[in-house]
Amino acid sequence: MKRAQIAVAVVLAAPGLRAQGYRLRLDNRAQSVSFRGVTLDSIPASDTVSGPGGGPATPDGYAVTCGSNGYCIFYRPGAEVHAVPISSTAGFLLWGLGLPGLSVHGLARRTVQAGDSGSWPVTSPAVELLEGYAEYATERVTAQLGRQNVATRLGYTGFDGGRVMLRDAGRGLDLSAFGGWGLARGFALPVTSPALNPLDEFRPQSRQLVVGAGAGWRRARFDAHLDYLREVDPSTRYFVSERGAFDLAVRPLPGWSLTGGADYDFAAGLWGSADVALRYEDPTGRIAAEIGARRYRPHFDLWTIWGAFSPVPYGAVDLSVSASPIRALRLRATGERYRYDDAAASTPLFDAKTDGWRYGWGATYTLAPRWSFDGGYHAEFGPGASSRGFDATVTFAARERLDLSAYGSTLDRPLEFRYDQSSLRAFGLTADARPASWIRVQLDAGRYAEDRRRPDAAAFSWNQVRAALRVILLFGSEADLAGVPPAVRGMPQAGTP
Amino acid sequence: MKLAPVLAVLALDAVAGLSAQQSARFDHARHAKVFATCTVCHAGAATPAAPLWPDSAVCGSCHDGTIQARVTWQPPATPRATNLRFEHGAHARAVAARGTGASEPLACVNCHLAEAAPWMAVQRAAIPRCLECHGVKTAHLAAPDTACATCHVPLAEATGLAAAAVAKFDAPPSHQDTAFVHGAAHGAAARAGTPIAASCATCHARDFCLQCHVDAPEQPAIAALPRDPRATAIRARLSAPGSHGDGTFLATHGAAAREAPTTCASCHTRESCLTCHAATVRVAAAMPAAGPDRGIGAVIVRRPPPSHGADFARRHKVSAAVAAASCASCHTRADCLECHRPGAGRAAGYHPVGFLARHPAAAYARETSCSDCHNTAGFCTSCHARSGVVARGQLRPGYHDVSPAFIAGHGAAARQNLESCTSCHVERDCLTCHSVIGGRRFDPHGPGFDPNRLIKKNPEMCTACHGRNIPTR
Repeated sequence: MKRAQIAVAVVLAAPGLRAQGYRLRLDNRAQSVSFRGVTLDSIPASDTVSGPGGGPATPDGYAVTCGSNGYCIFYRPGAEVHAVPISSTAGFLLWGLGLPGLSVHGLARRTVQAGDSGSWPVTSPAVELLEGYAEYATERVTAQLGRQNVATRLGYTGFDGGRVMLRDAGRGLDLSAFGGWGLARGFALPVTSPALNPLDEFRPQSRQLVVGAGAGWRRARFDAHLDYLREVDPSTRYFVSERGAFDLAVRPLPGWSLTGGADYDFAAGLWGSADVALRYEDPTGRIAAEIGARRYRPHFDLWTIWGAFSPVPYGAVDLSVSASPIRALRLRATGERYRYDDAAASTPLFDAKTDGWRYGWGATYTLAPRWSFDGGYHAEFGPGASSRGFDATVTFAARERLDLSAYGSTLDRPLEFRYDQSSLRAFGLTADARPASWIRVQLDAGRYAEDRRRPDAAAFSWNQVRAALRVILLFGSEADLAGVPPAVRGMPQAGTP
Repeated sequence: MKLAPVLAVLALDAVAGLSAQQSARFDHARHAKVFATCTVCHAGAATPAAPLWPDSAVCGSCHDGTIQARVTWQPPATPRATNLRFEHGAHARAVAARGTGASEPLACVNCHLAEAAPWMAVQRAAIPRCLECHGVKTAHLAAPDTACATCHVPLAEATGLAAAAVAKFDAPPSHQDTAFVHGAAHGAAARAGTPIAASCATCHARDFCLQCHVDAPEQPAIAALPRDPRATAIRARLSAPGSHGDGTFLATHGAAAREAPTTCASCHTRESCLTCHAATVRVAAAMPAAGPDRGIGAVIVRRPPPSHGADFARRHKVSAAVAAASCASCHTRADCLECHRPGAGRAAGYHPVGFLARHPAAAYARETSCSDCHNTAGFCTSCHARSGVVARGQLRPGYHDVSPAFIAGHGAAARQNLESCTSCHVERDCLTCHSVIGGRRFDPHGPGFDPNRLIKKNPEMCTACHGRNIPTR
């Protein structure tokens, strides 16, 4: 009976399928990378010797930390781990299904791993469905059903469910609502997946239910948007999170914009992250400048205990400038100064930094139509870890469809909580080829020389070659174009006659 | 020694002479006293079954190497490549049948001899003479549409013409007007004939139209033309209409497309729309899908709007939130997921090449919200576990070895960088000390902690440390 119904449905739908269109994009990536961590080891306290600094050390020079149990622990350099993750992401779009406005969207990824087994994260499960939904869209209504993601200030919320959006273009209003079974934060898997619990710690027993709503108002001079998101554990009916957010963009004068927004955690009763920025962009594109302030407070789901540890936010002011004094030269500079709120946990035993800054500057110079140079310096100094270094790239547009680049960089990376000051030198080559409109190939091969500087035997130096390959293939019902030369090669730039 | 150059020059001269002898046009005037009539050599001009060209033996009767120098001329093996429908015998018969009223039948000299020219001062038939006899009062290329087919066959039927010859066709004066080429005028002119104006078909075939028109199947005039790849030897240089140069065009073209989709469909396929509107395929529904019987049409080059200046990836959050529909005009969610759900094979993208080595500084103080794209447990902890930098089992000092008292004073660092802590530590590490049940009862709650609110929202997390005796304030 069921088969007969399916057959009838297929027969009825067949006439409408004649005008179907599709697009398929295959994005294949692979990289070869090595990394080296640490290995915990121990030694009887009685076997230790006095190290160069006077503290206890192993006979072969590793600084140790001794406990009351008669043993001392230390960390040896870990084994060199070689990982070769390979991922293929297939995105497809299908329309012309007999009902105008109906389309099907999908994005799935398959990941396999060569090299040392289990050496790279996010390689399990082998197949992920990032998105897969049917959409029905008209001038005023869009409805989606299936696995999807909603991007708001509150993050990128994934769920299996439905979403409806209503629009009134004349008034600039839009409303949306969605609901379904949620996915984990930053992953296309349910939070119950073992892949997201590598250390076998607290984990909900069931997927959270997600409901959300949004409202926006767009006018010529401003845009405003409100979002609300609630996640509930269906097994306990307790909240996983409950947050709201607003965003605002104001354009008072040509070239000027004021943007900002904030989120509020209803569960904790605290304002979360927020930002505001005043930006000016010269209409000719020769200069752009932005000054802003922001505040960052991490958000933790209520099924963890971390929110109860009272993470404190930091506040920051930032400035960025980009200018082209001459046509071939683009200069850029950015800087940010930040300071944490009082953590109310300071002790005389350890003085952690409470502020930091980041800055960077650089330039892009087009030496000739085919040659360009980009170089810059970046530095970050703050609690926990710091880094500073130079980057430089020379790019040669060998042909219209082929770019070749050579790059080099330096990096010094001191840590605040561990003697592990790292120095890195890297250089390499990249190629970006677009031999036809349906294929793109990118290749990167670089040599990395790392030097971990420590005052004991755990210091080490090692070199490695990292390589990455990316092949993008495009297919579609529109790709079977006749071999007639096109008369128009491109749209005119806005404002040109 | 000097003889060699002289011989070489003589040899070259001989070769050049022989070559010229073979390719030079027959010098009619020089033979004026030899031939009394044209048909002695060109019998085909009067007798349908006879060849138009003389046999080379006729030439050889004098040019035998004794009487006259030998010649090697041969009649053309193939008919002359032309798009003229002219054939001498038929033309003569048609003239005779029409009864032009002339005192004598049309003779060769009527077309091939200028007025008052001496006998055998032969020239090619001049176009003005054709126009004169056929009553066309205009210049050749300005002739009315009805006149073209009198002398010419459509390009597709002129199979002997090479593409290079087609490329040398002179353009009519009307085609010099850009409004004719880029506007509706050429369409109207094409539709003046049924099904297409003969003046168009004389020089063009459908392939010419397909250089611009994607709506060829919907245009009867174009569809009436046969396919012929030689037609593209005449290149179309179509530029965008003036409306497209308006600074507001990008913002207003949607309404214009909804109002007059067939106008857009002259040059735009769905592919044009989908180049940018990849996420909203419905806007392309009115356009024809590209195919082998359609032109490629306008090839859209997708450019970022001015707002997408330097560093836009870092600051796009507000724009994406307040104007998601604008983003969706050009971006599919796959574009977003490219960064927000990165694949394992991805070496660079939002982060620069080599970011793996420098990520601690950016991650510790959360230069941006890592968890927007990375699941802390699945990504950070998972990788740190493989690197040996996670706490397993009993919590021990030793890793944070800059200060021997780090464990005693770690509170401030933990509250500042708690997300970083959780990339190596799990709850049980902290509960060793910060738990009422089995721990050392160190209170972890700090500024802003609202127990009453949290108990209301989710008391389950409180039980991890407090058991069932959850205190309130």
